[in-house]
Amino acid sequence: MTFRTRLLVVFTLTVVASVGMVEWLVTRATGRAFERLENQRADFLVAQFQREFDRRGQEIVRAVKDVALSDAAVNVAISSDDSAFYNEASAMARAHGLGLLELVSGDGAIVSSAEWPVRFGYVEDWLTAPSGWKPGVAFLRREELPDGFTLALAAVETVNAGGRQLYVAGGQQLDQDFLTTLVLPAGMRVLLYRNLEPQFAPHLLAGAADTAADAAEFQPLIERVIRERRPRVATLGSGAAAETVHALPLTGIEDNLLAVLLISSSRRELVELENSLGRNGAWVAAGAILTGALMAAWATARVTRPVRRLAESAGQVAGGNWDVRVEVTSRDEVGQLAQAFNRMTHELVEQRQRLVQTERVAAWRELARRLAHELKNPLFPLQITVENMQRARESHPAEFDEVFREGSRTLLAELANLKQIIGRFSDFAKMPAPEMQPVNLNTLAAETMKLFEAQFAQARVTARAELAPELPSVSADPEQIARALRNLVLNAIDAMPEGGTLTVRTTPQGAGARLEISDSGKGLSQEECERLFTPYYTTKTHGTGLGLAIVQSVVSDHHGRVSVESQPGKGTTFRIDLG
Amino acid sequence: MATFPGRQRVARTEEMSRRISTRQAGLPAPRHRPALSLLLLCTLAITAAAATRPRYGGTLRIEIHASIETADPPQLGPGMPDLAPAFSITRWEAGRRAAFAADENAPGGRPFLDAVEVELARPPRDQAIDLDVGKAEMVEIPPSEARRQPAGRRTWVSQPVRVVLLDFGARVDDPRVREALALAVDRTAIFNVLLQRQGEISGALLPQWLSGYAFLFNAASDAARARELAAAVPAQARSLSIGVEDPALRPIAERIALNARDAGLAVSLVPQAGLADARLLEVRIAATDPARALAAIASTLGLPAPARTDSPDALYNAERALLDGFRVVPLFHLTDVYGVAARVKGGPGISPLGEWRMENVWLEGGRP
Repeated sequence: MTFRTRLLVVFTLTVVASVGMVEWLVTRATGRAFERLENQRADFLVAQFQREFDRRGQEIVRAVKDVALSDAAVNVAISSDDSAFYNEASAMARAHGLGLLELVSGDGAIVSSAEWPVRFGYVEDWLTAPSGWKPGVAFLRREELPDGFTLALAAVETVNAGGRQLYVAGGQQLDQDFLTTLVLPAGMRVLLYRNLEPQFAPHLLAGAADTAADAAEFQPLIERVIRERRPRVATLGSGAAAETVHALPLTGIEDNLLAVLLISSSRRELVELENSLGRNGAWVAAGAILTGALMAAWATARVTRPVRRLAESAGQVAGGNWDVRVEVTSRDEVGQLAQAFNRMTHELVEQRQRLVQTERVAAWRELARRLAHELKNPLFPLQITVENMQRARESHPAEFDEVFREGSRTLLAELANLKQIIGRFSDFAKMPAPEMQPVNLNTLAAETMKLFEAQFAQARVTARAELAPELPSVSADPEQIARALRNLVLNAIDAMPEGGTLTVRTTPQGAGARLEISDSGKGLSQEECERLFTPYYTTKTHGTGLGLAIVQSVVSDHHGRVSVESQPGKGTTFRIDLG
Repeated sequence: MATFPGRQRVARTEEMSRRISTRQAGLPAPRHRPALSLLLLCTLAITAAAATRPRYGGTLRIEIHASIETADPPQLGPGMPDLAPAFSITRWEAGRRAAFAADENAPGGRPFLDAVEVELARPPRDQAIDLDVGKAEMVEIPPSEARRQPAGRRTWVSQPVRVVLLDFGARVDDPRVREALALAVDRTAIFNVLLQRQGEISGALLPQWLSGYAFLFNAASDAARARELAAAVPAQARSLSIGVEDPALRPIAERIALNARDAGLAVSLVPQAGLADARLLEVRIAATDPARALAAIASTLGLPAPARTDSPDALYNAERALLDGFRVVPLFHLTDVYGVAARVKGGPGISPLGEWRMENVWLEGGRP
């Protein structure tokens, strides 16, 4: 992965993370705001229900008081014969808008009951109990009807006339009709579970559109409120159908839990808003991410362009073009880097020039030292011979001829030696350009091995040829490759003064071929291997040190590669790879 | 007990004329100043006599709560069938009204009234209003309203002629359940409140006035014994339904259900008696002869016909036999009560058995 790609990825991830965090914060803040609003609505509805409940209670108290103050109630109270009034409560209830009304004598026996007319004579103990209801105060009560129990909002007043007492107990059922009179905001509904049976019963849930389904949904919450006798809030359902339900316990005068009020607020608006925020947020986030990615791409391109140029320049420097310079377009760190790079390349060029000069001087010195060394050896006999000849002419003229002949032979021999030395230097200096043609290395190797057969025998070297039969031809100058091969063979023979094994091996290398010459000599150290191809470097006591330099020069002119592998005591292998 | 001499209008008219004549004949001899007074007295006497004298003409409007839906007017039973032969039907609208016209050739002579119109299916409350505002001259008064009538309201009351009873079907085969329900019913409370003490509490089929021994049949409730009996039967047998077709009996049935609940029986009420385990109904006493009346009741209820006897003891035993096993549980004997407008004269227009007798009734303001 390139630096630019990495930078782009980092920028993009940063943008995505930032946008995501902003989106999450906005969604969360909005959700909390709506939760607060929802709670306020629920609180408002609870307060509204309480007000409505109180208002209904006051209405009932007023109606019951009106009944108690009526002449009809007084007539019932003062009458000694209750049987004539058993239907009285129905008419009174109708007249005063009460759904439930009972006229009860002082001893607790029902005189007349609007909701259950035939229940006359039965005793209502709770009315005569010392504690419980209070006049003028409405309360919840579990009321028995012919078809079962119901929940009622009731009030009680007493009539005292003619020394007799009459209880007037009236009220309204808390049922579906009661709930429908409540004014509710959109999206809210009120349900009332009447706790009239020991176990949860779905039919006791009033206000439900679908009693069975709603009852199953609300049952756990209702049972929990009944069990704990505390208000609870729960979210029921999921998605847009979810509701936040406030469940409030309603108790009667004996502190018995008679009902659970369920104020349900639909979360549809909240969910839709959240969905809308999510959708819009996603679009905004996508746009932001896209924009961020484009900006990041532009920024990374802008930032990495000088770096890329630096990298390209560094590559050119690595390729040998030391004259390359980077344009400095800014003063920031990248600009400073470019300036530093330019300074570095400039210094490198100068150092190279200095190094070349130094190496050139060193080479000349080495060359001079070699020339001096090589030329000094034959010059010394020449000088001795000439001095012997002069001394013989002056001191021993008779022996001069003999000395002259011998001295002439010596001089010619040394001159020939000098000529040979000079020839070698001349050959190294005059290395011609290779004339390329298809060459089979196997053929060259075989010819060379044959050429050296006599020397192998003399040096007690066993020559071995391992030539690959399917070796492809390579483009090379056969004369120069043969010369290099001869140098390597001579090196190998010199490396085995005690005799040994010399192996010439050819192997295919893709489209090219490899030529290996191995000896079983004493081997070379690592340092020797590294300096082996330096001109005039030699490990031998004789030689000019130009043999391997010539090999490297030939191989290099053929765009090939020469390498050496050696371990002390295990011999040395030279490899030539030609394409 | 009221006595009815039969339709002898002509003789009665003659008797009234005779009495008036007798009074007139008893006046002192006229004098000058007293003559004026005498004349005045005579005028008043004649006027008074004319006011009480039967008059012909007019239509008696009767309202009843029953809705008779038959295509033809009823030929048997109390009420409209009793109008014959003095009146013959001229119009019949099933479930709504019937009209009867006086028969000029009726045996015993033409009735005073020109016609009788009967409006059917009239709620008791509306009947009372119609009577008050003069839209009807004769209306039924249910027991619950009997004691609410305004002071001076004229009523015609029959003897207790309708026996209200529980009739158990074959499905209630455990006599303990039947006895438990019979003992659970608080007849006194029902009688005092729902029936407003109209009629009689009874444990017998025949009313006391007819048989003379009705008091021998137990009519007292025994809640403890009822609970004991109910607890002894299997739970599924403790639930039963009572069919009540007559809305007037519905409050009694509801109270019976309430009493039954106290005894441990679950009683539900259904409007179709045929589908119920038992039924609450009333059976009318059809004859003044106790034996015939008992036989008619047994026949109506599907009970074995009692042996024909003139002995009160035998009749008692026969009735006791019918009631053994609590297959039938008599509860009350009810009277027929009619409210009558003040302009209705003559009468009473009903017999001790509640039969309509309109031959001797006339309306004030009719033709003299």
